[in-house]
Amino acid sequence: MNIEQNLQKAEQILAPWNKETTHPELNRLDASLAAENLRPAVTALHAARWGYLSAITGLDLGAESGQMEALYHFCSGPAITTLRVRLPRTGEATLPTIEDIIPPATFFERELHEMLGFKIAGAKSNDRLFISDDWPEDVYPLREDFNIEQATPVEGRHADETPEVGMVGENKFVIPIGPQHPALKEPGHFEFTVDGEVVTGARMRLGYAHRGIEKAAESRNWIQNLYLFERICGICSHTHAYAYSLGVEKLAQVEVPARAQAIRELVAGLERIHSHLLWLGVTAHEAGFDTLFMYSWRDRETVMNLLEQLTGNRVNYSANLLGGVKADVGPEQAKAIKEGLNFLETRIRHYLEVVTTDTMFLNRTRGIGTISYEEAEEFGLLGPTARASGLLRDVRVEAPYGAYHQFPISGVTETNGDLEARCVVRLKELLVSCFALRTILDNLPEGPLTVRMPRKVPAGETVSRVEAPRGELFYYIKSNGGEHPARVHIRTPSLCNWVSVLEKAVGRQLADVPMLIAGMDPCFSCNDRLVTTVGRTGERQTWSWKQLRQHGIEYYKR
Amino acid sequence: MNINNNQLWVKVIKKVRAWARLNSIWAVHFNSGSCNGCDIEILATLTPRYDVERFGIKLEGSPRHADILIVTGPVTRQARERLLRTYEQMPEPKFVVSVGSCSVSGGVFHGCYNVGGSVDEVIPVDVFIPGCPPRPEAIIDGIIQLLTHLKDGNPRPARKEQIIERGVA
Amino acid sequence: MNTLTSFFSLLIFPAGLTLLLAGMFYDWFDRKLVARFQNRVGPRWFQPIADVIKLFAKEQITPGIKNPALFFGLPIVALSGALAAALYVPLLGFAPVHSFPGDLIVTIYLLSLLTICMGLAGWNTSSRFSLIGATRALTQVFAYEAPFLLALLGPAMAAGSWQIDVINDYARDHWFAISQPVGFIIALIGLMGKLELPPFDAPEAETEIVAGALTEYSGRGLAIFRIAKALELVVGITLVSAFYLGGLQGVVPFFVKTLAVLFLMTIFQVLLTRLRIDQTVGLWWRFGTILVLAQLLITILWKGGLL
Repeated sequence: MNIEQNLQKAEQILAPWNKETTHPELNRLDASLAAENLRPAVTALHAARWGYLSAITGLDLGAESGQMEALYHFCSGPAITTLRVRLPRTGEATLPTIEDIIPPATFFERELHEMLGFKIAGAKSNDRLFISDDWPEDVYPLREDFNIEQATPVEGRHADETPEVGMVGENKFVIPIGPQHPALKEPGHFEFTVDGEVVTGARMRLGYAHRGIEKAAESRNWIQNLYLFERICGICSHTHAYAYSLGVEKLAQVEVPARAQAIRELVAGLERIHSHLLWLGVTAHEAGFDTLFMYSWRDRETVMNLLEQLTGNRVNYSANLLGGVKADVGPEQAKAIKEGLNFLETRIRHYLEVVTTDTMFLNRTRGIGTISYEEAEEFGLLGPTARASGLLRDVRVEAPYGAYHQFPISGVTETNGDLEARCVVRLKELLVSCFALRTILDNLPEGPLTVRMPRKVPAGETVSRVEAPRGELFYYIKSNGGEHPARVHIRTPSLCNWVSVLEKAVGRQLADVPMLIAGMDPCFSCNDRLVTTVGRTGERQTWSWKQLRQHGIEYYKR
Repeated sequence: MNINNNQLWVKVIKKVRAWARLNSIWAVHFNSGSCNGCDIEILATLTPRYDVERFGIKLEGSPRHADILIVTGPVTRQARERLLRTYEQMPEPKFVVSVGSCSVSGGVFHGCYNVGGSVDEVIPVDVFIPGCPPRPEAIIDGIIQLLTHLKDGNPRPARKEQIIERGVA
Repeated sequence: MNTLTSFFSLLIFPAGLTLLLAGMFYDWFDRKLVARFQNRVGPRWFQPIADVIKLFAKEQITPGIKNPALFFGLPIVALSGALAAALYVPLLGFAPVHSFPGDLIVTIYLLSLLTICMGLAGWNTSSRFSLIGATRALTQVFAYEAPFLLALLGPAMAAGSWQIDVINDYARDHWFAISQPVGFIIALIGLMGKLELPPFDAPEAETEIVAGALTEYSGRGLAIFRIAKALELVVGITLVSAFYLGGLQGVVPFFVKTLAVLFLMTIFQVLLTRLRIDQTVGLWWRFGTILVLAQLLITILWKGGLL
């Protein structure tokens, strides 16, 4: 089915509720709906299995128009259907919840609520889940008229309210993990209720790395933003800059030279190798297998060297420019990269053997945290976490962008869905990457590295999706024709994968928990660029914050 | 008991103590909202190519065991109190190393609504290591500079008073 | 006079100071070997000494604890246990300072004191990580203690004595590592469990429960626990090599044999992934105990002339 047929199908499904349809780009369908029609429309799309919900973007259209918009982006291959709901800016801008239809939407909806002040009717949890606990009510940072003075801390509240933890109930016990904890090199806070060694409840609190980048982007110009977005995450910095430049170039209708596109893919491939080797080491460390950690990080230095040779920096490479790339690949560099790849390939094959044959390591990975294909689809998992369950979610394969038309990649999937499968998928992906990188080096197109970019980008909005090492990275960029973007919305893959940890931790041993967290390769800094969420495992975790605190107070009074 | 600082055994004990402190540094790492770039470089210092264990530097999990606190990232609103608490949990003498441009000055995130600015607005910092991210060599060098500074017998700021002055604790 | 010599042997030689230095050296050897296996340079030779001196010179924080006397007393009890145990084993290849029939049982009891102290220390603080660490440490005691004891009983049975000195002499002509290989392996791995070395480091698994029972300890308390552990490393290795590697007579054989045992232990540490606590218990009771019992049975039958 090609893109047009796919979009036509979506249009047919949406026809009963559709007010107005446009095609802003070849692969996009934009359908305006009334808020009350949202739930039936989403249900119909979901029932017809038309793609998956990729992100929900909130827009503040400003005081003049007095309206806000919520955009529900569904992706199916390269085709994107956007459901656009327009609501008045003041008063009760209420959206119906869709978290019962699509579970991961709960994260997106909370983001809408916290950042723009949409009310979500029917959401399961009405706890206060704002950015930090001392954030004043009715102040929404992504509103156009937001002012930092409005965000003065509320008297008597802490930025980070923690309830009393300790014994809850007869044999239950709450173990906090993070934000400062050896298992997490990054901040995040988890609380696991344990009964002996068995986990009976899980909750999480993010936002320790929330910096407010999306808001900052609106006050910086197009070029400054490139470097800002690169610093969302130090591990997948190239992919962020890549997705952003792709979007901006699409808006400006600039065609990037073929050589630049190939070099972008080259850097992305090297970054994937560095990221996955890093992940392998961290996972081994969580399992208590430090030797594998040391060896995989030793070999990772090879790829760090290559990246440094190519771009001048080990992390945060700044390889991208708007309209091209900064760094060229000369013959010596090509040779060095090929030699590095040869070495890495033998090492990766070795690690593949280790993770599939080492009995002691398999004790900690095989059959642990198993996610079935159906669950992966239901939770809306992305990237290697989804691919380990047999769900091929890979933007490079589904919707090739940039140089991936010319240098296609084959998707890797596994079927078991446990931690072992996630190791295997990542390592096999690296072998595919090594092969692809060699092909690129052998067939590097000739030509210039950059084209001229206008300083002002024409008005419009676009969506760009890039496969980061952790999964699909989603950028929504809107321009008003000025020097600054009007809105950039980023949805990172880690956000979608949290469910896999919280759902799967319950019933497992405490010792498996760090492995599960590492298994999805979380990236807190990606995650927290904007959102603060509290996830919980629904019915199984019966204590709410308030109940828990109350219980704690009573317990200590006794 | 009246201890005369010029007595031989006092001098020897002081020498031995200073030697031990310079040769055994246990660090605890706190990420106060960084982009991971610095964190992976700190981890890289443990691994075979850089291997800081040869200088006696070790990454510990518990702040109670640590001598130095390595902080990365601009201090976000939510991480601020945790950072302070982690610092307070450490036994004296303790030192703070701020790694990366963000933790030194706020970096690219300066002015963002959820970012406080720099680490030294919250806790007193002994060494600043700029860079985005600093290379592992730079991080090691920063810590060695802290050691040399101590070796020369330079005084450290009176930290508790300093915190109270800033009105944080 | 007798008291004086006792004090001398307890505090200076062979236990006490000498043992302390030996402990530091073995600790360094272990860390260095692990580092070399992991392709790193590893610590310098004085590293454990510097660590301990530094810890002594640091502030000791007393966090929310249930019983202050226990908090300060436990490290000392653990250290005394390890020091006292040292008097009954052929340290540095010299005959044990004290020896009486049945001292094997006393030594093993003294060696368990450290784990019990750590368990109590974990229970005594209000930290949740410590509590879980303590539970795990005590659970693990039940896993390895019986097989470890049974593994040491093999040579004792063969020698017909429960006195370490006698077994040490008897072992001179009998390499039990060859005649009782299963017992040797179990004793080795049991010792690793006792010392909470990887892969049996679940009680102090850094990525799960920070530093286990000792999470809240700082300064002197931590230093003394570390020393006690280093001493136990030496005493435990001495015991195993005296029983299984042809006895320890003289300084040179002592170092050669004990360092060989440490080398073997390091290889296990480096190659194996940490076991979950349920896996540890399962491993010991399903395989360890049964295998060592079978070995013991064969030894008894052989001793009785039935084989």
